[in-house]
Amino acid sequence: MLPALRRCWAAVRPGPFPAAVLVPARGRKTRHDPPAKSKAERVKVPPPVDPAELLVVQERYRQYYSIVRALRSVFRVEAAQKKRERLNNAREESEIDEVLLAWNDAENERQRRRREERIRGEEEELKKQKLQGAINQAKLMEDFMKEKEKEVLQLQEEAQTFITPENLDERIEQCLDNPQNYNFAIDKEQRIVRRTALS
Amino acid sequence: MPMKGRFPIRRTLQYLQQGEVEFKSAVRVMTVNYNRHGPLSEGARQFVFFTVPQLQFRNPRVQIVMFKNFTPSPFLRFYLGDGKQVLVDIEDKTNKEITEHIKKLFGKSTETLEREKQMKNDVLHPATFGPKKYHLRKCVCEIEGQVPCPGKVPLPKEMTGKYKATTASE
Repeated sequence: MLPALRRCWAAVRPGPFPAAVLVPARGRKTRHDPPAKSKAERVKVPPPVDPAELLVVQERYRQYYSIVRALRSVFRVEAAQKKRERLNNAREESEIDEVLLAWNDAENERQRRRREERIRGEEEELKKQKLQGAINQAKLMEDFMKEKEKEVLQLQEEAQTFITPENLDERIEQCLDNPQNYNFAIDKEQRIVRRTALS
Repeated sequence: MPMKGRFPIRRTLQYLQQGEVEFKSAVRVMTVNYNRHGPLSEGARQFVFFTVPQLQFRNPRVQIVMFKNFTPSPFLRFYLGDGKQVLVDIEDKTNKEITEHIKKLFGKSTETLEREKQMKNDVLHPATFGPKKYHLRKCVCEIEGQVPCPGKVPLPKEMTGKYKATTASE
């Protein structure tokens, strides 16, 4: 702030080069404004250069740039190699091996055969069970028939002693002639006594 | 309550990270057909219950779909990126056998996995600056021979911005 203030007063105070102390107002003139009359004969000269220093500096820069260029190319090659490797790896791991697919098909085939065998075994088992069931059923029927036959024969034998209207009188005579005494007594020692006389 | 479900260990990060199978990028969809009952589907049921969460965790980009009681025998079907379909019969196989099978068929090899892990840790470009996770260096002040960090060692007065501004104005 203070230097700025000092500058303001410098224009008023008589100084050795007042114009030189004036702050150049950059941007006061646009590019379309003509240059000042005082600058009409101005010839722009490049800044002075010491040739020896220039040579030395140029030589140094030349060496520096060549080294940097070499390094850059080495790094570029390295980076490209890494990128190519990464791409290759990505391609490798994304590919599905045909050999493995064939192996998978073989495994599926094996499973299929196992399954078919199992199903066949189960069917045979079922058939056997059905057959066994039929045999059992037939045996049961046979036994039943035999039982029934036996009963029928027994009944036929017993039928000979049945009382029919034809031999009714005969049987009544028989019963009257042979009275049966069904009376008996039993004690706690299971002794049976038949003393009651039939009257 | 913190625990949910029958085997809450399946929900832990440690369990999920222990999944071994990482599919190749060609695999897009995996379909599992299995049955709720029956001794032949037992392995498939165990696979769905214990291994599928690990698979999905390791392969978030793969769609895994389950179909229950659709077919008499259990199987897996993989749909690849080029439209191919691969069938894997898993009837009468145990959980472990199924996992080994699909690992051999579609899993990335251990070398590939290690290489990918290493590449993830590798810095992509050695010349860039930024967070240590993605770059070698945070700032140029870390390099020997460069101007040290002004936060640690104050810059000489002549190099500070405010000195330069004052001298320019004078």
